[in-house]
This record gives sequence, structure tokens and C-alpha cells, in this order.
Amino acid sequence: MQENYLAKWLSGELSGQELEEFKKSEAYASYQKLKEVSGRLEAPEFDVDQALMQLKNERIGETPKVIALHPFKKFLRVAAVIALLLTGSYFYVNTLDESISTEYAERSQITLPDNSEIILNAGSRVSFSEKNWDKKRSVALDGEAFFKVAKGEKFTVSTSQGTVAVLGTQFNVENREGFFEVTCYEGLVSVTYNDTETQLPAGTSFMVIDGALIASPKPNTAQPSWVNNESSFESIPLGYVLAELERQFNIEVKTQNVDKNLLFTGTFSNTDINMALKSISTPSRINYKLEGDNVLFYAEKTP
Amino acid sequence: MNNVCEEQVFSSVFKANSKTVFNYIYYKFGNEEKAHDAVQEAFVKLWENCAKVAPEKAKSYLYTVANNLYLNVIKAEKVRLKYASPSLEHSNESPEFLMEEKQYKEKLDKALNDLPENQRTTFLLNRIDGKKYAEIAEMEGVSVKAIEKRMHLALKALREQIDGI
Repeated sequence: MQENYLAKWLSGELSGQELEEFKKSEAYASYQKLKEVSGRLEAPEFDVDQALMQLKNERIGETPKVIALHPFKKFLRVAAVIALLLTGSYFYVNTLDESISTEYAERSQITLPDNSEIILNAGSRVSFSEKNWDKKRSVALDGEAFFKVAKGEKFTVSTSQGTVAVLGTQFNVENREGFFEVTCYEGLVSVTYNDTETQLPAGTSFMVIDGALIASPKPNTAQPSWVNNESSFESIPLGYVLAELERQFNIEVKTQNVDKNLLFTGTFSNTDINMALKSISTPSRINYKLEGDNVLFYAEKTP
Repeated sequence: MNNVCEEQVFSSVFKANSKTVFNYIYYKFGNEEKAHDAVQEAFVKLWENCAKVAPEKAKSYLYTVANNLYLNVIKAEKVRLKYASPSLEHSNESPEFLMEEKQYKEKLDKALNDLPENQRTTFLLNRIDGKKYAEIAEMEGVSVKAIEKRMHLALKALREQIDGI
């Protein structure tokens, strides 16, 4: 039998021989009955004239294609374009993302539409769409922020280096040049970095420095220390520590004979600059000079 | 001259195709109200674009518009079809025979509703509206062979369902 022979049979396109063969088959009687009964089926009623009348009266109108000449036509056309542009730009502006940023030595607290909270550390920026918040909880981050996420649909933080997705939890994301760290304080956080997903349970960190994944110590606090006006580091290259110092006090840091790759463990105050400078210089065995907004860290040349 | 914008031409296109557009949407989604709306929408669109659509293209234009209208939007409901069988209602057939016929129709109804939407539409356009495979292929925007395949599979599935194979 040829392909789709049932269709050919129904349309009377089977050859005489094929038809004979089909008639002999067991199923033929069933198909014959199906053909006969289905030929008596009827669709629901449809009044063509009434539908046409409805179309003409309600939808098309009596003289739809005759447009009266009007002296104001051109003016109306221009007005319509202007109105369109205005509404268009209104909606465009309306849908633009909300963006909040902090300068150096500045911090900001943001409450999102669902009462989730973001605390933004110095020199950072977040943006999100307030209008589409109900549909998509998504925040773009540049810098460092601590998130307290209300329970609900997936909450995503996208950064230039990786993406963090959670359901409802508290976590910190730091996205600085060459430095990416996510710390989960409550719940479960999923981090996607270089297309690899890592699940972070509460009390764990994910850290990448200069492209290298670094085993990170567990946080022993309920919040990142910077929320309480302190910056804490555990085995972090000095260069990143000094960059954070610059952000917290809005100062310029210079170094002389200092190895910036030296690992620093410790805490500095974000409110008292003299204490902070001491906290960094003493354990690293370096000296500093503070002049206005400039700090110079220098090491005595070893003899 | 032969322009869809002319009311005469437009009306004749409507008379020739509206019922099939209605049935086409009805077979797909089983919703009469949506099928009525689809007819109105499709012809309003045709009227608005009458200058751009040649009369010979009007037909496939209508089906495309009607089809796009509900693309993935509405969920298919049960298709309810009537039977033109006056001969049976007033015949002298035995009660057993009439009972069997009734049961057969119930089975056919169920089997039709269980068919994939594209097979049901193809089958019913052929059986009820008497559309040739080539016409259905044009409406659905697929090849005649694809329609034959749908028809073959529809017949096979219906028979298997009804005979309980």
C-alpha cells in the first residue's frame, strides 16, 4: 500500500488494485462506517447574512473609505504625530529602570516594591525596573550591596562577572574590578559564574579574585561587617583592601615599596580614618602619611 | 476593477468564505464565540487592507489572520458537532440499531476531541466542508502531502479509538 493510503482512499485516489486489496483488509468495514457517519456531521450554525450585516454596521460603518477633505487635516496629522511622540516618550521614560548609586564615603538603603531591602555600600550602583517588579525580581549591581530578600519568586542579581539567584534570603554581593564575592547569610543562594552554577547554603562564601576561584572562609556574623561601619578582610590582597579604604573615606591612596599582593587579614573602621589607617599599617608593618585627602603607605627599605 | 475594496467584491468574498473561516476556527478551538469573533476580525483586517490584498489572495489572507488571532492564546475546548441524519430519526430501523448508532456517534465525538488540533481541523474541513486536500493545505500553509499525512493519521486514530484497539 502507498503512503497515507487512508487519505488517498477517502479522496478516491487509490488505484483499482489497491482498492481491492484494501477492501479485503479486516479494518475496511470500520473505515467505511467512519467515512459514512463523518460525512453526516454538521458544524454549528452560522448565519452568513447576519454576520455580514454585523460586520458592515458595527465594524466597518456605512461609508468607511470616503474621507472628507478637511482644512485641518494637515494640522491634525501633525498634532497626532506630536501626541504619539509625547505618549511614546512618556511610556518610555516610565519603563526606564530605577537607578540608585552611592558616591565614595556614602551609603544608601533602598526598599524595593516587595519590601526586600538593599543596603548599598560606597561607590556602588543598583538598577531595577519598578514597573515590572511584580513580574520579574531582577537587580543589576555594580559594586557592593547587602540584600535582604522577601520570600517570593526568583530574585536575581546580575553583575558584570556573574549572576546570583535566590528565593528569599540575606546575602552580600561584591562586584569590584577583578574581585567578585558572594556571601550567603540566610537561606540558599545560587551563583552563576562563567556558566557554572554554585549553590551557596547559609554561612558560606564564593570568591573570585583576578579570575581565580578562591576558597573563602565562612562568615561568622549575621550581616556583612560594612553594614556596621567596619570593613573586614580575611586573606585578601592588600590592593583590594586599599581600594575599599579609598571608597569608604573618599581619599586617594598611594603606595611606595609596598607589595599589594600581600594578604591582609583584619578589620578597619569606616568612620575613624586614623584608626583605620593604623589597623591596616600595623599588621602589614608599613608606615603611612595622611595629608588632606591623600594617604601614602610606604615601607622602610630593608637594609 | 476587480478590487476587494469594492463592496460587491468584498461581499462576495465574505459570502464565499465566512462560513469556512468560522468552521476552521471552531474545529481548532471548539469555541463558537471565538469563531464568530475570528470571522469579524479577519474580515475587518481584510477591509482595512483591501487595497493591498489581491482578490485571489484574499482567501489565504483570511485564514492567516484568523489563525494568528488565537495563536497559543486560547485553550482548545470540546468540539460539539451535530449530525444531519433525518433519515435515521424517522426511519423504521429497530431500536437496537438506533441505539448502536447513538453509541457510535458518542464514540466518534470523543475520538474527534482526542485528536490533535491539526488532524481534527483537517479531517472536519474535508468531511463537513468538503474541502479538497489542496485547499486545506493552502489554508494551513503546509504541503498537500502534510495534509494527506494528517488525514491518514486522523482516520487511523479515529478508527482505533472507536473500535477500542
